[in-house]
Amino acid sequence: MADRKIIDSMLADATLTDQSEAIRNYRPILMMPDVKVIKIGGQSVLDRGRSAVFPILDELVAAKDQHKLLLCCGGGTRARHIYSVASDLEMPTGVLAALGGYVPRQNARMLQMLLAQHGGIFMLHDDFEKLPLYFNLGCIPILTGMPPFGYWEKPGKGGRIPANRTDAGVFLTAEVLGVKRAIFIKDEDGLFSDDPKKNPSARHIPKVGASELLAMDLPDMVVEQIVIEYLTRARSCTELQIINGMISGNVTRALAGEDIGTIIYKDT
Amino acid sequence: MSKLVTGDGRTHIRSSLMRESLVDKRVIAKTDSEHELAILPDVTLVGIGGQSIFDRGKDAVHPIVQELADSRGKHRIIVGVGGGTRVRHTVSIAVDLGIPTGGIAQLVGAMEEANAVFLNALLARHGSIAMPRDHFWEIALYLDAGMMPIVISIPPYHFWEPPPEGGPLPVHGSDFGLFLHAEVLGMQRIIFVKDEDGLYTKDPKHHSDAKHIPYITLEELSHTMPDELILDRTLFETWATARHVKRVQIVNGLKPGMLTRALEGEDVGTVIIKEASRG
Repeated sequence: MADRKIIDSMLADATLTDQSEAIRNYRPILMMPDVKVIKIGGQSVLDRGRSAVFPILDELVAAKDQHKLLLCCGGGTRARHIYSVASDLEMPTGVLAALGGYVPRQNARMLQMLLAQHGGIFMLHDDFEKLPLYFNLGCIPILTGMPPFGYWEKPGKGGRIPANRTDAGVFLTAEVLGVKRAIFIKDEDGLFSDDPKKNPSARHIPKVGASELLAMDLPDMVVEQIVIEYLTRARSCTELQIINGMISGNVTRALAGEDIGTIIYKDT
Repeated sequence: MSKLVTGDGRTHIRSSLMRESLVDKRVIAKTDSEHELAILPDVTLVGIGGQSIFDRGKDAVHPIVQELADSRGKHRIIVGVGGGTRVRHTVSIAVDLGIPTGGIAQLVGAMEEANAVFLNALLARHGSIAMPRDHFWEIALYLDAGMMPIVISIPPYHFWEPPPEGGPLPVHGSDFGLFLHAEVLGMQRIIFVKDEDGLYTKDPKHHSDAKHIPYITLEELSHTMPDELILDRTLFETWATARHVKRVQIVNGLKPGMLTRALEGEDVGTVIIKEASRG
């Protein structure tokens, strides 16, 4: 039998499932560390309509010449409706993830129309390598928050809602770009000990480590659980900031680097 | 028309998940089910190794192409291929350059697509068709026409590859991608064609005392997982929470007839079975 025609390299003999010694010195480059990766919440912001969305966009537009802004959209109530119907129809997780992708894409297109006169540009995952062009042209690129896993989303343990949704996509976008802090604009002051919309005695948590937060095993959180798990292994994006976009000035303060809302940081 | 609900500043559509936090474990549990739809349950996925088969050239590839061609009309098959040595070379260079993990994941798929083109060129006269990812739902069309779709094996995690545990290398490789392709379509069995008789207690290429494992349950395997594996580790981790795939078989494609026998349902190579419907 013919031998394997191998190209010599440091991983040529290692099984790729193995972690070779030769990669211990690995230090990833930071692709675009000065970009502000910002999530606009779906249910928390966009589903509130004009009264919530316009003031946030005003603050973003005012900051666009000082910062490179990359906006990522959440889904919201229509995504919940899709997940609910799909789950009732016994669809697998991967199909839910593919279906769940439609709504944040709609939301991104809405934001693009609202921001067009200020350089808002809708981009697909396949346009990711064009980000430097968009920024050099003074644009505000707008991307879905959903990562592109779609039908390849892993089936979950306790239910069929995809684990990687729009928060995960935003974190992963920041991580690969080498951005230290991802900003999540929501309608709460950040993280609470329970859902503050349902439990009025829930306590605000201004700063918490990711592994500390996982150990608290809260029944509910303001960001997707999997993002906190990713954060413990992050190499570049080591901070998440969750701010209340309903309070005027918060977006501007967060862009200026102020520690408002909740900061969840890598503590491992 | 579904009812719109307002009153808290937001506009909701009435549904079982309305106003809910999808992070809430109590809410997630409501979407669990034992009766998930199997979309194409009677199809078999065949994964062909990159380094183990393709990198050996025609001596290894041609007999497998012939067995796939001979299976036409007898089995409904989807085929996927690995990338092999060029993937390793890509990763080596990329790691040395300090390309971030997501960037590495973005790069490697090209080498697997190249092997898919090779295979399609060899199999086209026997009814194969290389499928772009966007044509996902055309799979039924091709199968009904008696064709053999060749799918892209690497999952589309690309720049968004999650940070791996322990090291910079992307963990969502071609075996894992093919596994999920089968799982999301409700397929029950996968056959991987490699250059070993299946799973061993150690890598048989480096250890003469490695023992072959002919038959094992996923449950048993998870307790005695070898350090060196012939398939992506992530595949086994994901299988534990999967709902449809019941049988993963690994056969030696360098031995004539093994793929055909596996397609006929024979327990050749290594058979891994998932007994419990859920992990």
